[in-house]
Amino acid sequence: MLKKIAKKRKIKKEYWQVTLLFLPGVIFFSLFTLYPIVKLFIMSFYEYKIGALKESTFVGLHNYIQVISDEISQAAVVNTLIYALITVPGQIVLGLLIAVFINKLSKAKVFFRVLYYFPVITSWVIVSVLFRYIFQNEGYLNYLIFSMLEVEPVHWLETRMSSLAVLSIIGIWKGIGWSMTVFIAALTAVPLELYEVAEVDGSNSIKNFFYITLPSIRNTILFTFVMLTIGAFNTFTPVKLMTDGKPLHQTEFVLTWMYKNAFEFRNMGYSAALSFTVGLLISIIAIIQFNYFKKA
Amino acid sequence: MRKRKSIVEFILFIILLTGAMFMMIPMVYLISYSLRPNSDIYQYPPTLFPGYYKLTFENYEYILSKSVNIFIYFKNSLIVGLVSMVLVALMSSALAFVLSRYKFKGKEIFFLIIIATMIIPGLELIIPQYQIAVRLKIINRLSGLIPVYAAWMLPFSTFMIRGFVDNIPREMDEAAYVDGASPLKVYFGIILPLMKPAIAAVSIFNFLTCWEEYGWAQTVISSEKLRTIPIYIAGFFGRNNFTQYGYVFAISFLSLVPIITIFITFQKYFITGLMTGSVKG
Repeated sequence: MLKKIAKKRKIKKEYWQVTLLFLPGVIFFSLFTLYPIVKLFIMSFYEYKIGALKESTFVGLHNYIQVISDEISQAAVVNTLIYALITVPGQIVLGLLIAVFINKLSKAKVFFRVLYYFPVITSWVIVSVLFRYIFQNEGYLNYLIFSMLEVEPVHWLETRMSSLAVLSIIGIWKGIGWSMTVFIAALTAVPLELYEVAEVDGSNSIKNFFYITLPSIRNTILFTFVMLTIGAFNTFTPVKLMTDGKPLHQTEFVLTWMYKNAFEFRNMGYSAALSFTVGLLISIIAIIQFNYFKKA
Repeated sequence: MRKRKSIVEFILFIILLTGAMFMMIPMVYLISYSLRPNSDIYQYPPTLFPGYYKLTFENYEYILSKSVNIFIYFKNSLIVGLVSMVLVALMSSALAFVLSRYKFKGKEIFFLIIIATMIIPGLELIIPQYQIAVRLKIINRLSGLIPVYAAWMLPFSTFMIRGFVDNIPREMDEAAYVDGASPLKVYFGIILPLMKPAIAAVSIFNFLTCWEEYGWAQTVISSEKLRTIPIYIAGFFGRNNFTQYGYVFAISFLSLVPIITIFITFQKYFITGLMTGSVKG
């Protein structure tokens, strides 16, 4: 008891030290993240003129109405959602499958882990450059398709759906290694006894997977789901460098459209409103994912 | 039984190997094209491998020649990556320590806000961040990149490291307090050394993030000499619609070398880092 009181007193006396540790991070976070969020929120209600807020005119929800009714921003949101709907389950299923397979091996685990992780550490700029070359009209892929199937070359990056397909394939290709690594980490934490007991009861690998492995790593799957969904909405570089919204803004993603409005059309208020609308959308999706997994 | 097991393992091995080949084809393509003359790159029909008589290092020679000065871009990327990484490591580990060990009003709300900001795509905040950078007069400077990168990485790093610190037994620091140590002493003497694996894991990820960042760098940097590698590579695009892919691929491969080295050296941390913190099974 005495000890406890003494301890409390000591800490209270040296509270400035705790503050000293805490403050730099708080100040930095407030200045470069919190303040921008608030500023952006205010901007979204203005016809914003670069410089001072004073000269800008308050327009209420006008920017939001524009965002919601604008065909291009609708297309950008839909494109991003399609991309998320393909790449998130794609990365999770393939990543989990590979993780389970690698976990079953007695040799060469590290070898495969490194190989599958390779695309993750390759930068998005390089990946975009490379795949733009592979998917160009006279590219290697079209040549292969032509020489094997004798069909007309596909103009991969010139129509909306094929561009989305290409971007999704790249997204999955680049992301498998990450989800695989997360799942390997989670799999090693599943107690082996569970499998041993199951083996005595005459279970098989497939049953084990569905009745032991999946329930044990449920939290990890949720974590991966949320992180990858956020990641999908973060997609910017490959779109910017491979299609840049062409043709006619049909392949615009949320971030590329936001960026264009902000830095090319100088449409700051609209861009801010778009950011907030999408932020709200992501929050709703994340909350739904959390609730769904909590119930299941 | 054992025989059946080894057959299954063999099949899995083959499946994994086939998959790995698909994963690696684009990289093989990149290296293969970086070793061909530029005239070869627009030939039709294209080939996956160059004829051996055509192999050349001319792309690399050009890239490494004095006229290109690629080392400046490497240096820029390295400076920005290292400074941002260290800055985030210092701030997030201290934040994680305080959040994990001390009770005060509004603490949980603060932590919740930090986590909530992880949802926001980094680039969404660049309009106000750009205005801050203008006011701080760090536009078109390397120091203009660092605060924004650090701001992007701080929430996730704090979140991961806090998860790790929560798992360090409290008895460790409580014993030190009883012995009369101050909070600073406990932090630097006991907790920080124990945090090392988590900080290392987070820092590797953070460095990679900076090393490959494109959007913000493209927005802030306009001088040729201040470019980082990603915007230098992307700069090859769009000039007269004719991209000199040979050079691009050669630089791309060179910029991958440090990353591959880091990855293979710290390969262990990639797993242990992910295991701690958020992922608790």
